[in-house]
Amino acid sequence: MNDQPTTKWIGQPLDRVDGPAKVTGAATYAADYRGDQQAAIGFIVEATIGSGKVSQIETAEAEAADGVHLVMTHQNAPEQAPFGDNADAGRFGMSHAVLQNDEVRYYGAPVAFIVADTLEQARYAAGLIKVTYQADDSVFDAFEHEDDAFAPDSLDGAEEADVDKGDFDAVFAESAETLDATFHTAAQHAAAMEPHATVAEWDGDKLTVHIAVQILSSARKAFANTLKIDPANVRIVTPFVGGGFGSKLGVHSEGVLAALAARKLQRPVRIAQTRRHVFSNGPHRTNHRQRIRLGASADGKLLSVAHETLGAMSRDYPFAEAAASPTMASYAADAMKIRHRVVAANIPHVDSMRAPGEAIGTLTYESAIDELAVQCGIDPLEFRLQNEPKQEPASGKEFSSRTLARCLREGAELFGWETGPVEPGALRQGRLLIGRGLAAAIRPNMMQPAEAAAELYRDGRLTVELDMTDIGTGTYTILTQIAAETLGLDPNAIAVRLGDTDYPKTCGSGGSFGAGSTGTAVSKACASIRDTIIDRAARLDGDWAGVNSGDLRIENGNAVVAGRSLALGAILDAIGGDSFKGKGQVEPGKAHEDLAQYSYGGVFAEVSVNADTGEIRVRRLSGAFDAGRILNEKTARSQLMGGMIFGLGAALMEESLMDMRFGSFMNRDLAEYHIAVNRDVPRLEVKMLDTFDQNSNPLGSKGIGELGICGTGPAIANAIYAATGYRTRKFPIHLEDVLDHLPAL
Amino acid sequence: MTLSTRTHIRFRLNDRTVTLNTLRPTETLLDFLRLERRLTGTKEGCAEGDCGACTVLVGRLNRDGVLVYETVTSCIRFVASLDGCHVVTIEHLKGKDGTLHPVQQAMVDHHGSQCGFCTPGIVMALYALWMRDAHPSRPTIEKALQGNLCRCTGYEPIIRAAEAMAEISQKTADPLQAERDEVRSQLAEWQTGETVDMGDGADRLILPASIDALAQSFAANPKATIVAGSTDVGLWVTKQMRPIGPLIFVKQVEGLDAIEETDGGIRIGATVSYTDASAVLSETYPAMRAYFDRIGGDQVRNMGTIGGNIANGSPIGDTPPPLIALGATVTLNNAGTHRTVPLEEFFIDYGNQDRQPGEFVERIDIPKLRNNEIFAVYKISKRRDEDISALAGAFKLMIEAGRITDARIAFGGMAATPKRARHVEAALVGRDWSIETIEAALPAFESDYQPLSDWRASSDYRMMTAKNLLRRCFLEQQGETASLKRFAAVEA
Repeated sequence: MNDQPTTKWIGQPLDRVDGPAKVTGAATYAADYRGDQQAAIGFIVEATIGSGKVSQIETAEAEAADGVHLVMTHQNAPEQAPFGDNADAGRFGMSHAVLQNDEVRYYGAPVAFIVADTLEQARYAAGLIKVTYQADDSVFDAFEHEDDAFAPDSLDGAEEADVDKGDFDAVFAESAETLDATFHTAAQHAAAMEPHATVAEWDGDKLTVHIAVQILSSARKAFANTLKIDPANVRIVTPFVGGGFGSKLGVHSEGVLAALAARKLQRPVRIAQTRRHVFSNGPHRTNHRQRIRLGASADGKLLSVAHETLGAMSRDYPFAEAAASPTMASYAADAMKIRHRVVAANIPHVDSMRAPGEAIGTLTYESAIDELAVQCGIDPLEFRLQNEPKQEPASGKEFSSRTLARCLREGAELFGWETGPVEPGALRQGRLLIGRGLAAAIRPNMMQPAEAAAELYRDGRLTVELDMTDIGTGTYTILTQIAAETLGLDPNAIAVRLGDTDYPKTCGSGGSFGAGSTGTAVSKACASIRDTIIDRAARLDGDWAGVNSGDLRIENGNAVVAGRSLALGAILDAIGGDSFKGKGQVEPGKAHEDLAQYSYGGVFAEVSVNADTGEIRVRRLSGAFDAGRILNEKTARSQLMGGMIFGLGAALMEESLMDMRFGSFMNRDLAEYHIAVNRDVPRLEVKMLDTFDQNSNPLGSKGIGELGICGTGPAIANAIYAATGYRTRKFPIHLEDVLDHLPAL
Repeated sequence: MTLSTRTHIRFRLNDRTVTLNTLRPTETLLDFLRLERRLTGTKEGCAEGDCGACTVLVGRLNRDGVLVYETVTSCIRFVASLDGCHVVTIEHLKGKDGTLHPVQQAMVDHHGSQCGFCTPGIVMALYALWMRDAHPSRPTIEKALQGNLCRCTGYEPIIRAAEAMAEISQKTADPLQAERDEVRSQLAEWQTGETVDMGDGADRLILPASIDALAQSFAANPKATIVAGSTDVGLWVTKQMRPIGPLIFVKQVEGLDAIEETDGGIRIGATVSYTDASAVLSETYPAMRAYFDRIGGDQVRNMGTIGGNIANGSPIGDTPPPLIALGATVTLNNAGTHRTVPLEEFFIDYGNQDRQPGEFVERIDIPKLRNNEIFAVYKISKRRDEDISALAGAFKLMIEAGRITDARIAFGGMAATPKRARHVEAALVGRDWSIETIEAALPAFESDYQPLSDWRASSDYRMMTAKNLLRRCFLEQQGETASLKRFAAVEA
């Protein structure tokens, strides 16, 4: 870590540059796109078995219905590369074929796609399709088929499914204090406000897809690989995305269906998945069983850690979540045993949801650590501080920077944490039991390849182009600030353009790597313009030779530095051009290979539990976080607050319930899949350390979008323990879980 | 009687008049706006009135001729129901010169928008609030936002935006004030008392102008589906894909939304909204205020009707338990012939109500509380706001000289229909108003109800909670309110 450079624009709480477009309804999301030709409307008919074959499908009535142009089934769908082909392109870029044959891979998979003039017509015709199935034996419940569990080839968020350090069994056996606890975390859906949607249109052999997606480059590959066309002929456009939280990292069935139908009909096709469809034709986080064993010395030194997870992997879709990721990075221990296991299941796609690994890993690990601290008779804050590691515990790598202890201390101060044991149930307000809890937040900081192009015009306007997305995080705004900073330019003179594969390729939004990666690319693109200006100016005026490029400012169409000023136009006239162009590129470097990089936080919660009814209310949440340099105080704070509320949801509400007889989710709507409403939200306090990590990227920033969710859930769970003296070890925690365990008043 | 009819519907959309000569009866306002009018600022997040992303304002002249604007969820509002109304969408708020409306400016200033997909709906909800109350208190803001979900912000910035609205500009500076007079006269001009009758067969839609016209239409088309607030029927279309035509719309029927005080109580027309009913019922039965505030959000309360909530026969409808406990009767109209039945007798079995073909709910009569009568009503749901009841219980007890002399107890979510707890009532009446009596009566719940298990609650939990609600009712009357009223009225 080193000192943060003084800045003018970076870090400022600049209002969102896309704010006016969003509050007026002018921001166009995928389904809002309107081309020259009127789009036909698509509607998905879902399979009503979890695994098997379509033995018969009757479409005649639907085909004859008013306004219907196409009823596409496996019998007439165009040829595609088999689902999963081009696996090298990764799960987002591989073939996402739909309706390729009579097989049903999961409940809700498309068995027909209706395209009509209006939504009403398409929906009506969907009801006329009659399907007969031949169901296979299926696997829906991973825990019931534990014998078939295997270690996944790759994990999201960790390098290896298995990690062994020292001899866990021996050290655990000798540990004075031990804990052996099994936790359950629920299946969840990202439930972004915008359901997945696509408008696909063809111009000859060129396909343009307006689609709600977080990463454009892999979406382009997915369409090319599925449809067996040249990626150069696929353009992805998505200027605004209505929330992603991982659910839009890849493309989903509606996108491919739209592209297939649009080609067949020679007409643009629009489909917005219904909210019900999203629960099966969008991805979800699967439920996990996590066994954690901890051993400590009598004085609270953590010695041995085992974390074994079991969840489902959807058949043919390679994704597994590294729930033990935080375990490998949070506290020092001599012996560690990590096992990630999955069972292949006939269920809708399991994929990344906000903070894959840490969101459910901190829920359990930070609960277990808390439990062990109490068992050792040590204040849970103190316990965490005294087990602070010098190197990354599992790998032995040095940390790029390590501020977890500082976050915990500053969070404690913000919250007013009182050190010392508090007897559960001792703190009361009338018949409300009050509890306070804390947890550490930790989330890997990643860097991904990104490119950006910038163009400075003679009047001093700048455009910045890259195929990055803004899924609500504030990308337009922070990239504007970074460009303004680099060129000493007023933000109002800058237009950042995102969400189009015609622009330079980036990593997109995901894994909290977007801002650091693309911000660096933009900064470099602008710096290269700066260098060009100085170089050209020096040719015109020798006085410019050797000036420090970093001091250059663009003011009112002039290049200004250290008492010198030249009109951009004059320089351009001299060199014969209309604008200065710059390109920037970034690749993850050695610092990301050699060093363990994380963002950190200390989250504190106060809850009340009704002594009579068990009703749980979070009264306040405080968090101190370190995500390196803060690029925009306003957008960063909102990312953390939104993340904390996500964590609250995971702790108390969010749960996708599967009917294990059919492999179907039951609560497939926002009435029954409960995300926090306004009145569930307690008083929120966020403190940002605003540091600078020179190893993360030249901006010194680290990932922030997923950090807030990480420690919040366990802090709430630990507070519920403090209130009631009972640990539920399952999430979400409902009132009926604590009802039989409430202390008598 | 001959009725004047027309074969088109007309309404004002922002600053334009819309006349539709053909219309699918189940076309939703949201689809009309987005797909036909290309007004894509209004978003679809759920298509069932849960998330509020599609919120728009609907202005109409109320019973007193006053122009009022209410938030509605356009995803489940059928276009046909807008006849004679003014629809205001997010696109209409910005000034002609591009100046943001104060509500919009506050949302920008306080970072109330992130991904922006819920934002248009939130702006409209806040605009409706701002029109009513330019200096809203925090509880008032929270109530106005009950019907809007946001997945990004954690809500805090939106609340701050709402608190800042008043500072940015006074209500009189609302750029839309200028058009109010014009709108008022346009809507008044459209009040011609005509019945609308368009389309054929399943695509037929009828908007009767009067109760008599409704009775005639329904008698002639007994298989038609009656649509009031469409907070339930809307989902039959958007979620269940059920063909439900032809449709008879009733919200515009003159006199069907009447609220009047009668000798014995309050008379509520079938199309009175939750919002309007709450205002009146909360005065007479104070326990109703907090209860009504937990039915959906403002959008659903503005649209949904008491008559619809009864007529659709849902076992978890919010209003039947308290109305049954209060001894309400429902009056049905069959081709002009009326009959009145006690509300609990209207619900025969799951999906089966005491309603003959061609018969419709016209009004509900609710007796006032007598001296020495107490009334309490509770909703239990998994989520604090915007949730369907796991169960709801209502209690009306006459306590005279320390004894329970009369009892009416009704629950929703405990059986296939909203149902009275007659065994519990019998176990209470004639006994001392004491915790001993309450405890002794609790086993009787098991004679009254055998609730089912679903994801909202298990059978055991429902049974236990039902019993505890009776305990709560008793304890509250003993002054143990401080710890029990967690869902204090948001107006508090």
